[in-house]
Amino acid sequence: MSVLEGAVVYSNLIALLSIGLTITYITTGVPNFAQGSFAIAGSYIALTLFRLFALHPYSSLPIAFILGGLLGVSIYVFTLKPLIRREASTVTLMIATLALDFILLGIFGAYSDYLEGMTGKTAKKFIFTPYDFEVANISAILLFSTLVIGLLLICLFLLLYRTKFGIALRGSMENPELAEVMGVNIENTRLFSWFLSGSLASIAGCFLPFRLEIVPLTGSLIIVSIFAASIVGGLTSVYGALLGGYVIGFSESLVTFEFSKIFGPGILIYSRIISLAIMIATLVVAHNGLAGVVKKWNTSS
Amino acid sequence: MEHILLNILIWFGLYLIVCVSLNIEYGFAGIPNFGRAFAVLVGAFAVGGIVNRILMLILGVSGELVEGSSAVKGATNEIISQHPAVGILVLILCLIIAAALGAFSGALFILPSAKLSEYYLAMTLLAISEVMFMVGYYNPDIIGGYYGVSTPDVIAFIPGEHRLEAFSLMTLAIAFFIYFLVCRMLNTPYGRLLRAMREDDAVVEAYGKNVMMLRIKTCAVGSAIASLSGALYSLYATNVIASSFNRAEWAFYPFLMIILGGLGNNRGVVAGVLSFVLVKVLLSVYKWELTEVLHLPFEAVWLEYIIFGILMLLVLMYKPEGLIKEKPIMTEPIKSKVR
Repeated sequence: MSVLEGAVVYSNLIALLSIGLTITYITTGVPNFAQGSFAIAGSYIALTLFRLFALHPYSSLPIAFILGGLLGVSIYVFTLKPLIRREASTVTLMIATLALDFILLGIFGAYSDYLEGMTGKTAKKFIFTPYDFEVANISAILLFSTLVIGLLLICLFLLLYRTKFGIALRGSMENPELAEVMGVNIENTRLFSWFLSGSLASIAGCFLPFRLEIVPLTGSLIIVSIFAASIVGGLTSVYGALLGGYVIGFSESLVTFEFSKIFGPGILIYSRIISLAIMIATLVVAHNGLAGVVKKWNTSS
Repeated sequence: MEHILLNILIWFGLYLIVCVSLNIEYGFAGIPNFGRAFAVLVGAFAVGGIVNRILMLILGVSGELVEGSSAVKGATNEIISQHPAVGILVLILCLIIAAALGAFSGALFILPSAKLSEYYLAMTLLAISEVMFMVGYYNPDIIGGYYGVSTPDVIAFIPGEHRLEAFSLMTLAIAFFIYFLVCRMLNTPYGRLLRAMREDDAVVEAYGKNVMMLRIKTCAVGSAIASLSGALYSLYATNVIASSFNRAEWAFYPFLMIILGGLGNNRGVVAGVLSFVLVKVLLSVYKWELTEVLHLPFEAVWLEYIIFGILMLLVLMYKPEGLIKEKPIMTEPIKSKVR
């Protein structure tokens, strides 16, 4: 896989994850610190289906989509919703998602031990790269991850701008109180956003092992890139998150690659410093990220 | 049995220091520092990276840090076993450098996010901490990367069989000293100002206080204290590796302890740390029995994560005020009004 191809694939995945984080942030008002672990849940779903039923990770996408969505919804219903009902503060909600991340880490560890016992193959460290193939000289991971994100964008656009539910959804994203007054059920939009967030992360998780090695802790490592992408995108706009995903994904892959030509390959492991630097630069220069910049530009012209 | 008790005492001391520091920042000042682990790691940097290099210079050991540190450890332990005063001196040197480096890094670490609202703050702090953790683990020049480095045994003058006892007593003494100082510090106008900032920083700003400066100060103090814990842990373990300073043990657990004990209230922190450490040490002591009895098809450490994660959610839902509730501040004017 060439560097550019790798960068596109990685950006696709980061974009999927940061879109998920942004949607739940918009509807629920809490940045989900467990978003990285949502992805690893998808990776383990794909691994299980592959080891036990010999289902290729690409064929397990629909199953991962549904299971990941159910994970997202159940997390919202069983932990965040009761806390919101008790009028917990934003920080409390963030700590709750941190706790969820921790529980998920424990579950992945326990489950990988269990899976190892069942299959006799290691499940605490795995990679799918050897199972990838080529379609007309393009690696399948590049093709499929790009197709999925394209398809998703079309569906999301149709849903948001062509259906009544989409109007309600956009309304409750812009101004929840007003939407509620107009008879929109906020609860439904929240449920929908957590389903979507979980399922997108799970799909990204199916693709992720083609790009990097997965261990139970991977979720807490990639969260830096996801946060960076969402913050660059401005945290309040789905399109911002998409753009942020590509900015972060490309700079992480390409900038470190360029640096490695100058400073040697040792620099490659520090790729997340680039994300962190971009994230901090965004926060210092433009509080509201790319979405804020675009908005300002629109209103001034 | 004695060993278990000493283990509980040491961890109680180490975690009390970290939790007191987090309580200043989150409990009192309302800064959600999800990157607490970074300050603790800085303490390990101070001992493993700086004090080791100073000792290498003094003892004339040349070469790389990883090999040099074990040579230093041997030579220093030899000297300390003859002259106890040297050991105390090294300990004090470690603590001072750790506190200074902690204060500096804490002040620096909050800068990019000093003006931001809660969620940006929390996300940035966590991201910085996570990246620094990775750098510490991958870069062999800081504290030996994935090889780790050795640290001198500052109480080598005490015979080996009594080392654990001496170390736990020392840690406890330092922890209670810090606890006492922090209690005094928070019972001043500064402490009340922090609580005011937590409730509403706009009001504090309106009264002419610089909120950003206040946040920087608080983070410097908090990080300096947390670094002491990292330094003590490195000296206790007599070797340090960055991977021991992960987010779970040094950021998530401290949050669990202070929320369990009761935010913004130092006695609550003691209660939270004590009950948490009891459960944690007992879990780790009986992990084999636990796996055996429950027929777990996995290692007990994962169960620990799940249990503590669920405990956190339960506390947040059913007892958000913690074991001991924060009391209103009884200053002299308020006392006379209440009466």
